[in-house]
Amino acid sequence: MRERIPPTSEAAVRRAVIPVFALTLAGTLAWLSAIFLAPCLKSRSPAAAAFLYSFFSPVCHQIPGRSFTFDGYPLAVCGRCLGIYAGFLAGLVIYPFARGFSRISLPPARLFLLLSVPVGLDFAGGFVRIWASPIGLRFAVGALWGILLPFYFITGVSELVLWRSSRKKGPEPSPRIDEPALDSPRRKNIE
Amino acid sequence: MNNRKPEYLVPALIAGAVSGALSGIPFVNCLCCLWIIGGAVLASFLLARNTAGPLTAGDGAIVGALTGIVAAVIDSLISVPLRPVNAVFLRRIMDSLARFSDQMPAQWQELMQRNSAGGFSVSGFLFGLFFSAAIFAVLGVLGGVIGVSIFGRKKTPASPLPSQGPPDATA
Repeated sequence: MRERIPPTSEAAVRRAVIPVFALTLAGTLAWLSAIFLAPCLKSRSPAAAAFLYSFFSPVCHQIPGRSFTFDGYPLAVCGRCLGIYAGFLAGLVIYPFARGFSRISLPPARLFLLLSVPVGLDFAGGFVRIWASPIGLRFAVGALWGILLPFYFITGVSELVLWRSSRKKGPEPSPRIDEPALDSPRRKNIE
Repeated sequence: MNNRKPEYLVPALIAGAVSGALSGIPFVNCLCCLWIIGGAVLASFLLARNTAGPLTAGDGAIVGALTGIVAAVIDSLISVPLRPVNAVFLRRIMDSLARFSDQMPAQWQELMQRNSAGGFSVSGFLFGLFFSAAIFAVLGVLGGVIGVSIFGRKKTPASPLPSQGPPDATA
């Protein structure tokens, strides 16, 4: 079993969680901004727009018929992906009130599995061609699933930060037993 | 107490190869980023199975990030020869839709061009690999931590009681 971090104070946990939360929030806002920026740049700077669409292509099929439009062009990701990212942002907004910054713990697995059912059913139904859900429904089930994700992401990254800081500090140095104390008779004899 | 560190690499290689391959295969890759998250969950499952004792969120984050990076490499390698197949697949979708609509949206044509444009270039491949690895690593962290919450919480087995030896003869 990996060597665990020693019990840490609330202050140490806050020092780890707050920067992780801030960076995650900034990254999420930048990510969502880029999704909306791509269609905005279509008519103004096609090369920049093409770069942004290509940037999101590894994580999304970007099929126009399954994407919302903005400024007359499809967003850089599909409706389901946009829902997940929007839900992630909503989860970040909720995080400080629901969890605070002084403790890190994982949500119950049951809750995750429960919130995964709608998005799982929606995908499965479309995959086997039972139904073709509208973009709005894809967005909604994606958002429902995305709300819980920050509670996992921040917990995992914060724990890595705590591991790192505890390894940097190292163990408390033990007192040297070969050097007598200042008021020790042994020191007086030496002097 | 067994202080052996979890072995992150093998689960990450296995799960990353699976999720990277699924991300790159046409039609199957419609699950978008969820393949990477699912792959990282699989990596956590494999890690939990091969590790004595419970795992922590940090363990999930590490194995998930490694899974994402492996998946990015596999996906990038698979996408190179499958690019024409992707274009053919999209063309078939467009042809079927064109039978039922008078005018195809302009975005479809552009999507086709984007997926079939240009040949292979090393710089483009490395550029794409770099960004894919960064994005997939973040998604992998998420999936790894989710996987640990589902599979990694095990009770530490209780240590056996020390056997009661004979009393010390010198006491």
